[in-house]
Amino acid sequence: MNASAKTLEFTFERTIPASPAEVFDAWLDPKVPGNPWNAAEKFILDPKVDGLFYWRLTTNTHYGRFTKVDRPARIEHTWVSPSTQGRESMVTVTFAKQGENTLMTLVHSDLPDTDGGRGHEKGWNYFLGIFPGQFGGDPLKKR
Amino acid sequence: MDPLTDVLTALSHPSRRDIVRRLATAPARFTDVARPLDVSLNAVTKHLKLLERAGLIEREKRGREVFISLQPGPLRLVAGWMHEYERFWNARLDRFEQHFTEKKKEKKR
Repeated sequence: MNASAKTLEFTFERTIPASPAEVFDAWLDPKVPGNPWNAAEKFILDPKVDGLFYWRLTTNTHYGRFTKVDRPARIEHTWVSPSTQGRESMVTVTFAKQGENTLMTLVHSDLPDTDGGRGHEKGWNYFLGIFPGQFGGDPLKKR
Repeated sequence: MDPLTDVLTALSHPSRRDIVRRLATAPARFTDVARPLDVSLNAVTKHLKLLERAGLIEREKRGREVFISLQPGPLRLVAGWMHEYERFWNARLDRFEQHFTEKKKEKKR
């Protein structure tokens, strides 16, 4: 794959009923459900600029390096996984005050536009299997 | 309905997928679209309406003729929906949001 290869970008938004600082801290706290590190079987997390993270779920490993950690407004890190074919994709999370709430925006960019990325069912099925049973809800219903 | 549902509905019928394939090469007149399909003109009109609702086609009047062209943009919604990270982050963020909603409820008790 070369530098001019097509990439995909996805943007997600959630309104969280807490202050930006609380949401920012929770996103980097592996004890809080929902952040990327929470479900990991093994993880290393060093959330500072040039700090690294690693997490493993079954045989699926993810690596990255933090490029911006700006409490409470912004976190940026790279994201390398089998689905990115070993290349660095980029995850940017911003936290904006919205009254009493926080508008949290996550952008996952520079993802290779390949069948490997689009076709993978395994990761999602794992989460689908866990979430409804554990929390009594179907994560798909909200969408 | 949401845009993704409209696109998936539009693509759920083989005749409509044939129309999309036909228009992928070039815009066509209504009669050209209808001819290869083994259905009534009324049915073709209904198929076109569903494709139009999904934003997949546009009609343009040129003189007496109406030309139908493909607008492939909404097809990206389907590609996005199928993407691993689309599903991954939505599931994660739903759970993260739920954590705070539950916390807030507990505080109120």
